Amino acid sequence: MTNGITHKLAADRIYPKRRFKLGCVLGALALALTTALTGCGPASGGSTAKAASGTAGSAASTPVQGGELTYALATSPDTLDPRRSGLAVSVRVFGALYDTLLIRNADGSLGPSLATEWKASEDGLSYTLKLREDVKFQDGTPFNAEAVKYNFDSIIDPETKAANALALLRPYKSSEVIDEHTIKLNLETPSQAFLGNLSQGMLSLVSPTAAQKDGENYGKNPVGTGPFKFVSWSENAEIKLAKNPDYAWGSAESSNTGAAYLDALTFKIVPEEATRIGGVQSGQVLAAETVPPQNVVALQNDPNAQLLQTNTIGFPYTLFFNLEHEPWNELKARQAVQYAVDLDSIVKTLYLGTYERAWSSVTPGILGYDESLEGQIKPDTAKANALLDELGWVKGADGIRVKDGKKLTLHYVDGSPNREKRNDIAAMIREQLKAIGIETEVEITQDIATVVYQNWDYDLYGNSQVNSDPHGLTSFYRSTEDEGRRTLSGLSDPQVDKWLDQGAIEPDEAKRAELYKKVQQYISDQALILPVYVFPYTVAAGRSVQGLTFDPFGYPIFNDVYLQK
Amino acid sequence: MKHSAAAAKTSGRLRRIRKAGLDKAPYGAQHRTSGTRLRFGSADVLTGVAGIAVSFLVLCALIPGWIAPYSPTEMNTAAILQAPSVLHLLGTDYFGRDVFSLIVYGTRDSLLIGICSVLVGVLIGGTLGSLAGYVGGKLDTVLMRLMDVLLTVPGILLALTIAAALGPGLRNIVLAIAISSVPGYARVMRGQIMAIRRRGYIFASRAIGARPSSILIRHVLPNSAAPLLVMATLGLGSSILAGAGLSFLGLGVLKEIPDWGALLSQGRGYLTVAWWICTFPGLAITLFVLSVNLIGDRWRDAVDPKRKGKV
Repeated sequence: MTNGITHKLAADRIYPKRRFKLGCVLGALALALTTALTGCGPASGGSTAKAASGTAGSAASTPVQGGELTYALATSPDTLDPRRSGLAVSVRVFGALYDTLLIRNADGSLGPSLATEWKASEDGLSYTLKLREDVKFQDGTPFNAEAVKYNFDSIIDPETKAANALALLRPYKSSEVIDEHTIKLNLETPSQAFLGNLSQGMLSLVSPTAAQKDGENYGKNPVGTGPFKFVSWSENAEIKLAKNPDYAWGSAESSNTGAAYLDALTFKIVPEEATRIGGVQSGQVLAAETVPPQNVVALQNDPNAQLLQTNTIGFPYTLFFNLEHEPWNELKARQAVQYAVDLDSIVKTLYLGTYERAWSSVTPGILGYDESLEGQIKPDTAKANALLDELGWVKGADGIRVKDGKKLTLHYVDGSPNREKRNDIAAMIREQLKAIGIETEVEITQDIATVVYQNWDYDLYGNSQVNSDPHGLTSFYRSTEDEGRRTLSGLSDPQVDKWLDQGAIEPDEAKRAELYKKVQQYISDQALILPVYVFPYTVAAGRSVQGLTFDPFGYPIFNDVYLQK
Repeated sequence: MKHSAAAAKTSGRLRRIRKAGLDKAPYGAQHRTSGTRLRFGSADVLTGVAGIAVSFLVLCALIPGWIAPYSPTEMNTAAILQAPSVLHLLGTDYFGRDVFSLIVYGTRDSLLIGICSVLVGVLIGGTLGSLAGYVGGKLDTVLMRLMDVLLTVPGILLALTIAAALGPGLRNIVLAIAISSVPGYARVMRGQIMAIRRRGYIFASRAIGARPSSILIRHVLPNSAAPLLVMATLGLGSSILAGAGLSFLGLGVLKEIPDWGALLSQGRGYLTVAWWICTFPGLAITLFVLSVNLIGDRWRDAVDPKRKGKV
């Protein structure tokens, strides 16, 4: 736009036609920057309040058949092939397209879905699953033991280049088809997390016929057993799904186990948050995910919209110290940061009371979550200063501590775009650390893959993960074996490794929980991390949307949804 | 006739320009040397106001600590998202920072981006244009076709691509904007040079045996500079706007003190609940760009020979 003006100048030189036009155009453009790039919605202020949670609508009214639900997603799924996907947003679509073998109940127990019964062998090295007999993929392929075998074998096949699914399926080795609807899954080593992982959307089952036919392109033509079938996908715009009329095998996740009430389900990709939420308020879409905290308050006062909220489980948004970098390899230095950063105030300020503060390396709802850690560490600037004094860091003239001619700096890396206000957390932490004489260099990069996972060039970096089992802690804190990728913390402690390895195979649930509690205690005592917040999945929806619920992972369930006229 | 301070300033600057270049031209090369008298009217009041606004913003950039009531980094979490009031003139943002103080402190980077990118752009564009215009021939063809190629890419797109390739950072933003503005300056400079090198006094100095380089430096350049300077003034506005645009799109750096574009971007998510966070930085951009353009326009009129004698 600027050069348009430069061109004009170059073209008609400096002759004084339309004297103030140029100024006006520029002025208008500046104004346009403030307004056009932001969405518009009714202004409403108000105090901060706790968001309402739960399900949409009441169960009392009778569901209405038909209609189309438009659901705005904040980011685009990478692929609709669950085996190859690495994004949580894809799983939101998988829930409609696919089914999993098992489901996870709200209390953390497992329930039947495509598998009706399951049994572990004595040695924990194999599981025998009985499958439902009345299930068909949307392309007519029957769902049977062969189909399950194909799915899991293809995930461990390096040719497939499976992503998260591979991590979840490990230590799967092979499948034996016992009969048409019975399958035995063999593992390399016993794993207590394996069965639970079968309830995760990334291990949804794809149609072998379609997957074989389309190969690499299957992700653009997905076929599952779910309540909705794929219609079309226009990149970065929308994904259209239509009702699967044959669906009759719904799990206990939804009260409707038959075909969906909706005729169609369309996911729209709307990255700009103000536009997304404004879309609900103006009726352009019926539902939109990830409501920014400041809009939560406004939505609660909006008669035309409702707010649905559920906490996700797994590993909260956590800032990891890079233990391989000085001086953060020293406990006292990390503790100083731990005492200097007032996470309570950060979470309250930025999320206006809509996000819960995290206290441990896992979220509540995960086996072994250690409640005793809650409220244990309180901000204490005096203590933080004392710790740094002990280490010999002395405050210089500019207020930044110096030791041996080196400034005390913390290289804080975060990603762009500013997801969930994470960049703002960095800005606040920088301010709080300045108070104890630490200079924080905040690097915002679009290339996390290189900066963090290739060069490991950070002192502090934040990450979160949706997961169902504490076994996932392994990928953050277990010391790295020979070829394996190092962890974000870079921790290498044989004691922690032992606990984590025992936790993976310990059959007794209470003992398992104890092991993971020990790990959490250790992480907290060693000040390895700063746990920040538990991500609540929020959805703004029009009043007509009824029956939208979420599974314990925080993923939406669409089979019960209907549109009240 | 009303004499406002800014108008006087403008005419003063004019005189300096004339002294620097135009008066030195021998043989009446200039039509305008005989003292253009500025006429004052409503446009001049406007220019005066613009001058005051620009002066104020320049002061903000130079001595923000004397103007801003709060520290721009002070996060008062007890007073977040407060509407404009006596305590906080333009309200507070979602960190509890004072928006007025932020804008005052943000002026420095915003102006720095604008001024530096114009300087770099004028320098590169002016040099290329002079070379093309004065040397002519093949060099002219090659350089100007190159400029034409650059012109086919919309400026902001070019700046975006360059900024994205170089990575975030103040220097890279300056470079990106400067490069995208080069073709404009190069073309104007070339045109000027080509017109002037055919003037009689150039032939005359060549005839008395002056070296080409001294002709270029002593006669051609001073006489071609004025339009470029006017264009640079006008370009300052668009450069600041482009800089704000790039910052807005997140191609800047996460600095302790955000510039205007970054402020806009930070506040846009709050437009429905706290309109003041991004409205005031937006107005600051508008004010500055508008003022600079008003001054540039007035200056352009004043130095334009075609307007001499017209009202």
